[in-house]
Amino acid sequence: MNFFKPKWWPWGVLTVISLIVLAFFVLYPLGVLFGNSVRDESGALSLAGFAQLVDNSMFLEAFRNTLVLGVSVTTLAVLIGAPLAYMVARYEFPMKNLVAILPVVTIVIPEVIVGQSWLLILGNNGLLTNFMERIGIELPSFYGWTGLIFSMTLVYYTYIYLGVLAALRGFDGQLEEAGLSLGTSPLTTKLRVLAPLMLPAVAVNALVVFSLVVGNFVLATLLGSRVPLLSVMTYNEFVNEMGGSPLLQSAMSVVSISIVGIVLFLQKRVVERKLYTMTPGRAPQAARVRSGAAALFTGCVGFIIFLSMLPLIIVFVAAFTETSGPVMRWGVWSVTNLVRIFRSAPEPVFNSLIFASIATLIGVVFAVLTSYLIIKKRNRLTHLLDYIVIMPLTISGTVMGIALVQTFNTGWLVLAGTGSIMVLCYAVRRLPFAVRNASSTLFNIPDSIEEASISLGVSPLMSFFKVVLPVMKASIVSAAILMWVTTIAELAATIVVYTGGLETMPIAIFRQIDGGRLGLASAYGAAMITVILAPIIAAVKLFRVNLFSNQ
Amino acid sequence: MASISIEGVKKEFSGNKVLEDLSLHIPDGAFYTLLGPSGCGKTTLLRCIAGFHETDAGRLLFDQDDMTRVPTHRRDIGMVFQDYALFPDKTVFDNVAYGLRARAVAKAEIGQRVGQALASVGLTTLAERYPAQMSGGQRQRVALARALVIRPRVLLMDEPLSNLDAKMRTQMRDVILDLVQEAHITTVFVTHDQEEALAMSDKIAIMDRGRIAQIGTPEELYGAPVNAYVADFIGSANIIPVTIESADPALSGDVRYRLGGRLLKGVRGQARFDENNAILVARPEELALTVADSAAANAVSGSVVRRQYLGFKTTYRVRLQDGPEIRVDLSAGGRSIDFHPGDSVRVLLPEQSRIIGA
Repeated sequence: MNFFKPKWWPWGVLTVISLIVLAFFVLYPLGVLFGNSVRDESGALSLAGFAQLVDNSMFLEAFRNTLVLGVSVTTLAVLIGAPLAYMVARYEFPMKNLVAILPVVTIVIPEVIVGQSWLLILGNNGLLTNFMERIGIELPSFYGWTGLIFSMTLVYYTYIYLGVLAALRGFDGQLEEAGLSLGTSPLTTKLRVLAPLMLPAVAVNALVVFSLVVGNFVLATLLGSRVPLLSVMTYNEFVNEMGGSPLLQSAMSVVSISIVGIVLFLQKRVVERKLYTMTPGRAPQAARVRSGAAALFTGCVGFIIFLSMLPLIIVFVAAFTETSGPVMRWGVWSVTNLVRIFRSAPEPVFNSLIFASIATLIGVVFAVLTSYLIIKKRNRLTHLLDYIVIMPLTISGTVMGIALVQTFNTGWLVLAGTGSIMVLCYAVRRLPFAVRNASSTLFNIPDSIEEASISLGVSPLMSFFKVVLPVMKASIVSAAILMWVTTIAELAATIVVYTGGLETMPIAIFRQIDGGRLGLASAYGAAMITVILAPIIAAVKLFRVNLFSNQ
Repeated sequence: MASISIEGVKKEFSGNKVLEDLSLHIPDGAFYTLLGPSGCGKTTLLRCIAGFHETDAGRLLFDQDDMTRVPTHRRDIGMVFQDYALFPDKTVFDNVAYGLRARAVAKAEIGQRVGQALASVGLTTLAERYPAQMSGGQRQRVALARALVIRPRVLLMDEPLSNLDAKMRTQMRDVILDLVQEAHITTVFVTHDQEEALAMSDKIAIMDRGRIAQIGTPEELYGAPVNAYVADFIGSANIIPVTIESADPALSGDVRYRLGGRLLKGVRGQARFDENNAILVARPEELALTVADSAAANAVSGSVVRRQYLGFKTTYRVRLQDGPEIRVDLSAGGRSIDFHPGDSVRVLLPEQSRIIGA
């Protein structure tokens, strides 16, 4: 085969290279992980690991707890997210425009900050806990089910909200009018016409939330010390088995991959088949609501937004609050904590910046290339590429970290213990999101502009750079920002792959919380939020990027 | 400027034969139209000429140069796309200059040639606009200027007018013809609109399922369609099965055929065809209606099924005595009598009506 024939050059060659890179950094580590889960100390094939898990009552409890938590959080998230979306899509009420910041809030506020802020408010020594105690009411402990369900619902309801909102906006209002014209009452029409069409959107996003809860490590470990959960247990096993045979950590990882795998399978098989294509019609006009109802709507929406935003405020307030040891002296302002982190331990800030920058650069370049191949150069190979690229979605951060460490700690390519494994981990984890982002833009770029460029005498490769890339500029910037933001805040995988000297900001925050020094944790938190917000503000101002338009 | 020769070109898409052993010669400087319904292979053929599709078999020549394996960007073509394909991030000037820059033309010359090109499409004042700030017709002009400014050997146009409204479409026909004639450039124009094809082309190739159905001037295709497909596609003629009584074997020789219980006269429109399976091709505007008791020659009786008033003409659907329906257009200027559904009438068929094989 001559690779420089027009047929293969340049896209065929690039497809093959992308496939090799992905196979090596995604498929191979997963293979190693699965392999380790069925191999005993001597290296022989055995199901001993899984047998031990089944006999382990702690594991079974963690397994059950994880599913219960998944179902509870998903249910609550649907109960909050779906009605919120309906209110926003169909009614006009005062201060409704505030909801526009919700998607940003979700992305900008890292889970570790959410967990930490709510500990500051509702933890054992929290603001509200202490206040209630003084007036004689004892709040239930936040460490455990209460905290887990509360904080995860607040983190994940936006997924339902955004999904349902998009579906409602895409809903052809004429369908409802058709129902009314055929003689069903407004309520019946909603139940018989609107609800069945919204159900798939709810289900798809509910499954996403469920799989995120199952994989969640950060909130689980911060708040779940009394509730054994799969992700935390897997991490603890990883720490226990360090240096020994990675049998149990692998078996547990395989279990959690399987749970998410089954969920995604359900999504593909059952739900996506029920996704109806609707001719995009006019979404019905939002109805204005009157005084009483308006106050109620504004109140509900305002309260939800307030709860979502609170961590942001708390972390900045706490960062500037005087602390003595673990005790926050609310109302007494000071910059001691901020000065301390920058004087004595600024490395996490720099590490975060360096790793996130490199991971973003690599991730975005690779994402643009692969999504271009997947969307514009469809063939069997790029179809395969499409499948492999979304695989990291099924893998939680902790498991991804474990797979990479197991794979790259020996052999000819040793990455474990260096910064490169962290960069690799970030880039791989965020790849599916960046690819999705770039793909949706590419999908809307007609093939003809590229052909026009070629017909005017520019080679296919140069046409990509001169015509396609400039048109993608906005989406590349937004993909880069999303990647940067989520990478800076990454904790679940980082905690597995980092080694001494390579701490990032989330690790520093986690350690300070673990040591009870919430003031220092908040100082790192404030620094992290600032680093996250800066490029977003820059992008919106400089590039006029509409980052969070819900397409 | 070049002639285009297509010799035995084949193209398949996953087992689906889109072009079947197709040959065509497009003379230098001609305005040549590929006409046909969607799925007939006209766009595929154009894209083979452009080089966006590699052909499975056959040769493609520009003059004597074999282009079969030359990649698109070295073919020196100009192409106008259905959706115009203007680069949305570039101004009108930069869009038009794009091909010149790719050819490393000197900056001063670029400025001058782009200026000329924009002047020729009447857009001089809009050079700094972006595509999104312009109307469909203006974008179309930019696309034309961009394709022509590089002085390509051939100009390829893929349904360039189909996204415009009716009025703008007729206006752009003139713009395109003026520019193409001035540049004296070989043009291949793809359309499914027969009126457009008749109005603009020197020559038309009508395509049917990957083959050429007929090649000819607009007059030849309209006046002497060789089969039912062409007759129906151009001017949507009445196509009615008839029984042949006797037929002169010479082309244009007399044919006597039976329709609606009458023996009628026509001419042979095809050198050879199956006489047991013959059809009459009759254009609605060539027919006339009279009252039922008139003694007109070469006429069939029937009754009016529907009447549609269209202003400049009135269209009648008439059911003939033994079954088939026929459409008759009466022009408004003709001072003809008005007929109404249910009226008994006689349909007058010209003696030059062509009889061909089905």
